[in-house]
Formats: sequence, structure tokens, C-alpha cells
Amino acid sequence: MATVMPAVPQISLQGVHKKYPNGTVALRDVTLVIPKQDFVFLVGPSGAGKSTLVRLLIREEKVTAGKIHVEGQDLSRLKRRHLPYLRRKIGMVFQDFKLLPNLSVFQNVAFALRVTEGALRHLKPKVEEVLSIVGLEGKENKFPDQLSGGEQQRVAIARALVHDPRIFLADEPTGNLDPATSWEIIQLLLQINARGTTVLMATHNREIVDVMRRRVVAIESGQIVRDEDAGGYHAPALESR
Amino acid sequence: MHRLWNRVDFAFSSAWQNFWRNAAVSIASVLIVWVVLLALGSLLLVLHSLDQIVALEKTKASAISVYLADTTPLSSAMDFKLHLESDPRVTAVTYVSKDQAMARFRQLPALDPSVIDTLGTNPLPASLDVTVRDIRDLGAIDQEVRNSPLVDKSPSTNYEPNVIDKIILLARVAGIAGLVLIVGLTGLSVFIIMLTIRTAIYLRRKEIEVMKLVGATDWFVRWPFIVEGLFVGVVGAVVAVLIVGFGYRPAVVNLQSVLIFVPLSFDQYYLRLVLAAMLLFGLLLGSVGSYLGVRRFLKQ
Repeated sequence: MATVMPAVPQISLQGVHKKYPNGTVALRDVTLVIPKQDFVFLVGPSGAGKSTLVRLLIREEKVTAGKIHVEGQDLSRLKRRHLPYLRRKIGMVFQDFKLLPNLSVFQNVAFALRVTEGALRHLKPKVEEVLSIVGLEGKENKFPDQLSGGEQQRVAIARALVHDPRIFLADEPTGNLDPATSWEIIQLLLQINARGTTVLMATHNREIVDVMRRRVVAIESGQIVRDEDAGGYHAPALESR
Repeated sequence: MHRLWNRVDFAFSSAWQNFWRNAAVSIASVLIVWVVLLALGSLLLVLHSLDQIVALEKTKASAISVYLADTTPLSSAMDFKLHLESDPRVTAVTYVSKDQAMARFRQLPALDPSVIDTLGTNPLPASLDVTVRDIRDLGAIDQEVRNSPLVDKSPSTNYEPNVIDKIILLARVAGIAGLVLIVGLTGLSVFIIMLTIRTAIYLRRKEIEVMKLVGATDWFVRWPFIVEGLFVGVVGAVVAVLIVGFGYRPAVVNLQSVLIFVPLSFDQYYLRLVLAAMLLFGLLLGSVGSYLGVRRFLKQ
């Protein structure tokens, strides 16, 4: 669907190599363009390089060779002091939620606004707004250990949304969740996508990928082996077997 | 304004939480800062007292008191005074009677007058206070006057050639020993503050990870730890300042009563300087320790 009109690339990787200091080559010559408002599944076996790709996009890691542009910025040229401002444009969620256990739901979300020095006058309405988007009204005062896995992931999503990110990266967001809860989280990501945010989701969840029929980028041994619109978890040849 | 307040509020409340979350390490670091500053303050005051003594002894050094035997009549004493005054090496001679000597003695700091009264008679000799042009002539004059029959034999004069050298040496040894002690303790305290900050960082690593993930700036992440280091420095300094501030006067008074012939005095102005220096040094220890503590992390 992104190919109908010449879409503006929001994320682009050109010939990206990533080699870790221990010698492991995580990505080889990866070229990938993701236009605005796209919804992309990043699939592949463990250790294929999915998480490395996600980490490169928020520049938690730097490329060994090649170029990455996010929101028009060349990440290899981005100064360290400008990095926080890039990250405010990117919402991120993980398999392990990364919530702070000693903070309530409200505080966990508000924390993201506080530490980025957002306008505090709008803190409460903003937190309430994102909590209602993820369907957690009435649970503001609960602590993470009082919530189900799905609810915890919703808190993490709400936290990622407080800066109205233009890009939403999800690294195995359903990895710890049962199938029904996983579907709820996917619905939420679709909603976020429908509001105009680009979503990139790295996943192992074959069922979801197959049912959704969205763009699928498959990575194996650090290389993109397949990139198709409305794809499945496995290549058509494999699926027909 | 809101943002600045948010930053300050966050830094201080996090620092406060950090401080109590690893209370044992924090209190250890406060204690070590306290010890360093107590040592520093005490050393500065002791050296200052030694300086006071040296300065006073130096002004006294160009003069000696020649003690006259109680049997010497006043006329002979006056002749002896004239004889000394005619000496080209001498600039002035003052006669001090037994009563004047007693009056001077009574003025010594912290000397209990009742102690003197119990003596009944006045044991102090009259004297001729001889001031010379050149300190180096004191020895020769001392030798000459000792031979005079008018002069008391036990002792003849108050000439003590080595006393100044001894005091200066004492001040130097005390200064060097104190400096070595303070340098060692300073290193130790910076190291312990660094460990405190590292522990705080370790305990907050998850929070820091989230902060960086959602786009907090490096300085926003660092400030709480720097504030914690400064907090440790200030608390240690304030306790030490209170002890030295309130302890100096009683210490001087006590020493005056023990060392009655040593011209110690309480110096309010110098005390203020020392207290200010201690507070500044406390802040310095805190900031250097926390700087070293946060330096390595956040750098990747």
C-alpha cells in the first residue's frame, strides 16, 4: 500500500553493516526504506539481527558501515547531545515492558514527560489522554506488579506515546503474552498506526503476521531475505509445503 | 522557569532518595568527609597558633631580660643600666622592678591570681630589659652580664638561643605531617564518594535505562548524582564546621590554662576563614567524587 504514491522515506537504511566488537556480524548490507505511516513486521529467527536493527534505529548502537536516516537525520552524523531529541520522536516498547516497579501506572507514564522536561502544566491531561488510548482508565494508581502482562505492555505503550512519536518501534511486544492478549496489543498498534504513526514491529508471532497481511521484512543471518507487501511469516514457497 | 524547577526538583528528590536508599554507604562517605575536614580545620588552627607563637617570639628575640639579684641596690642597678646603655650594640635598656615583674606575671593569660597570692612573698626578680641592634649580639651580651655580681645566678637571663628555631621546626613538622594526613584522607574520601555514586547509579540502572530510552538528556540523568555527591560533601562539612566552630574557643582556653607561658590566643577572624575553607573543601570533595562517579557511565 505504500507503493501507490511516491512516499517520503521516514526510515532508510543503505548498505548497513553491523559488526560487534566481539567479532559477531549482526547485519550485512541491509537496505530498507520505510515510508511514513507504514506498518512493518520484522520477522526472522532468534539472532537474525532484528533487535540489532531496532537498536540501530534509536542509535543505541552505531553502524559499522552504511547509512541510516531517521526523520531526515543521518544517525552516524547525529551529535550525542542531539540524540535525546531524536528519541523523543520515537516510541519504543519491549518484550520485558521496562516499567519502573516502584512507580504507579500514572507515575510510570508521567516519568517519561518529567525526565524530558515536557510542559508540566499539561502533564496530567496528557497522561490521562494516553492512558485512555491504551484503555487503562481507572488503573492509574495500580503498580506494575498488580497488573497482568497485557496491562503492563499497555502502560509501556502509553509511556511511548506521551511524546506523540512519529515512529513506533516494538521489539517482540507480544513475546511474553498469551494469544488473546497479544491480539489486543496488535489492535492497539494498529490504532496507533491509523493515527498516522509509522510502526515497525519485530516479532516471532507467526499467527499474527499471517492474519494481518501487512508488509513483512524477513531477516536471516543479518540479511534481508524477503520484503513483501501483505506478506506472511514464511515465504510463499515454504508456506505451501 | 517551570522546566528549571522541574529539573531542580527532580535532581534534589532523586538525590535524597539515592542517599537513603544506600544509607550505609552514604553515611560512610559523610563520615569520611567529616574526618577529612575536621583534620583540615584542626591543622589550620594549630598551625595558626604556632605562627602566632613564632611571631611573638621573634619580636621578643631582639631583647633579653637580665635578672638582678634581690640584694642589688637600686643605685647599682641604675649604674649597671647606664653601663649597658653606653654599649654601642645596645639600643635601649628598661628597668623592671620586682613589683612591675609581678604585675606583668599576673597578666599572663589564664593564670589563676590566687595561685600567686598563696606564695606570700614576691619571688620574681627585678630586671633590666636590654634591646639590641642585632640579634646575633645577644649571645655575647648574655655572656658578659652573667659575670656581673649584681646579676641573679638562677637564672641570670632569659636568653634561649634555640627556642625560635625549635618552634619553627615544630610548625614545619606539624605542617608536613598534617598535609600528608590530609592528602591521604582526601584521596580516600573522594574514592568513597565515588563508590557511593556508583552504587546509586547501579541501584537506579533500570530508571536510567528508561530515562535514556524516552529521551532524557545526559545532564538530566547526571544531575541527581552530582547533587548527591555535593549533598554528602555539605553534610560532612557542616558537622565538621560546627565542631571546629564551637570547639576552637574552649580548646584555646584549655590550652592557655595548661601552657601558661605560651602566648596562645583566640582569633575570631582566622576561625571564620578556616570554617569557610572547610565548607568549600567539603563541596570540592563532593563534586570531584561525584564527577568521577558519573564520568564513566552514559558515555557509550
